[in-house]
Amino acid sequence: MNWQAIALSLKLAASVAGILLLVGMPIAYWVTFSRWRWKFLIEAVVALPLVLPPTVLGYYVLVGLGPRTFPGRLWQSWFGHTLPFTFGGLLIASVLYSLPFAVQPFSAGFETVDRGLIEASWTLGASRLGTFFRVILPLSAAGAITGTVLSFAHTIGEFGVVLMVGGNIPGVTRTVSIDIYDQVQAANYGAANRTAVLLLLFSFLVLSVIYGANRRALSLWRKR
Amino acid sequence: MSLEVAIEKQVSGFRLAVEFTADGAPVGLLGPSGSGKSMTLRAIAGLETPDRGRIVLHGRVLFDSARRINVPARARRVGLLFQHYALFPHLTVAENVAFGLRRLPGPERARRVGQQLAAAHLEELADRYPASLSGGEQQRVALGRALAVEPEALLLDEPFSALDTHLRGALERQLRETLGAYRGSTLFVSHNLEEAYRVCGELVVLARGSVAARGPKEEIFRHPPTLEVARLTGCKNFSRACRTAEGFVQALDWGCVLRVTQQFAKPPEHVAIRAHHIRLHAAAAPGRENVFPCWLAAITETPFRVTLDLRIGGPPSGPADFHVQAEVFKQEWDAFRNLPQPWQVELAPDRLFLLPD
Repeated sequence: MNWQAIALSLKLAASVAGILLLVGMPIAYWVTFSRWRWKFLIEAVVALPLVLPPTVLGYYVLVGLGPRTFPGRLWQSWFGHTLPFTFGGLLIASVLYSLPFAVQPFSAGFETVDRGLIEASWTLGASRLGTFFRVILPLSAAGAITGTVLSFAHTIGEFGVVLMVGGNIPGVTRTVSIDIYDQVQAANYGAANRTAVLLLLFSFLVLSVIYGANRRALSLWRKR
Repeated sequence: MSLEVAIEKQVSGFRLAVEFTADGAPVGLLGPSGSGKSMTLRAIAGLETPDRGRIVLHGRVLFDSARRINVPARARRVGLLFQHYALFPHLTVAENVAFGLRRLPGPERARRVGQQLAAAHLEELADRYPASLSGGEQQRVALGRALAVEPEALLLDEPFSALDTHLRGALERQLRETLGAYRGSTLFVSHNLEEAYRVCGELVVLARGSVAARGPKEEIFRHPPTLEVARLTGCKNFSRACRTAEGFVQALDWGCVLRVTQQFAKPPEHVAIRAHHIRLHAAAAPGRENVFPCWLAAITETPFRVTLDLRIGGPPSGPADFHVQAEVFKQEWDAFRNLPQPWQVELAPDRLFLLPD
């Protein structure tokens, strides 16, 4: 069992889920409530990773963050190394790749909040930010949880982007899915099987625990 | 305390252009659905932006298109009671009432919440969630929540429309009491004229986005300025009219000449009378004016009153062939129903009113 790869996958998935909670929420808020007429273009961009082959996304991230571009050079001058084939590069690519898995559930959650409640909050003196944390977020908790779980799970399972951007460096970019691939390539079916089963059970467990908790949390104030 | 409103806004389907002032006593905003009542309230609360105009609350400019002032809803200090109350489902009754009091220190916040809960008789429900409350209780929570922040104006958007009829009477009395103690300006939106009449001192009648009448309620009901306002205030009987002599008009649709007491500067277009002002007599009534023979075309019964569709001057050809509708009590109707027709209908001169157009 390659515990190093498992730990790396968990670290990557948790970081992606955390970042997407912070980055995805404002994007989802904007997508839900903006009345800009070209909004659909932004929505399409956010949804791109759903349809693009991971290799295409990985390719652009690789080129875009490489030493020949401005952001790549900027990163290099600050941190002394290039992004591709590092954990940081992998993280950026994974965040982009899982973006729709966070933004769409968040947005669907916001969509369910009655506009009248938001307006009531405003007339009672709450700011937009206050209204978000006191009204919108509590009432769309299901969407927030779903989006976070999905981006976590999706990152655990990603393969193509990791291979393109991260390569296969033990302890740095070799995640569980890459490890299984390696084991299979080496005809090491026993090890591949053990890791695969573990990944399967873990994914199932996380999803069911959080969906279950999610449902209870929602019914709490409806029943009382 | 005064609220001055003069705004214009292009809404899909019509142009909203209203102008009125509300002082101490509650002002009723009356009009059919789609006349712009709710849009007006939302503009005052800061939830809609007018295209043009000014909104001034107690000397404070909330909106002025010329000076590019548009105070956001949260800073307007305008309380809005939503039609469906908009209570926060994830907060208890007490938390809902406390929602707007975030910035107050704890003890003061608790005092205000306690005060509102007591005033609305909600103390026992303080820890309940809105989903478990009745419609009337929800309305009281919403009103308490709006008043807890001590707004300078209170806007009520059809506060009884979501309630069962039997709940309305008691709640309306309670609301009148609450409004009596409230010191800010109150606007009460309704499409129910009797409700607006009971709650408010002054009325602003809206029709298709503009003010059709405004003033003391008695004045508007006694002398509606236009046909439309007369209709909106519940008048059912109209006839085209032309002046025949000093103090007389010919009612063209009713086929009779009527003496009227109302002075008119402009030639009247219509003569009108309210259904409950029409009187019936079994036989000729000497000494009374504007009495004509009439025949019954149809009747509509409600538990205590009867509406009679009457034709003046000759028997009707069918149930839809009538001139005026008279509303009488059941007892009166019982005394009449078996008497031979024609009966005599009296359109008393001081009950008739004339409408220019």
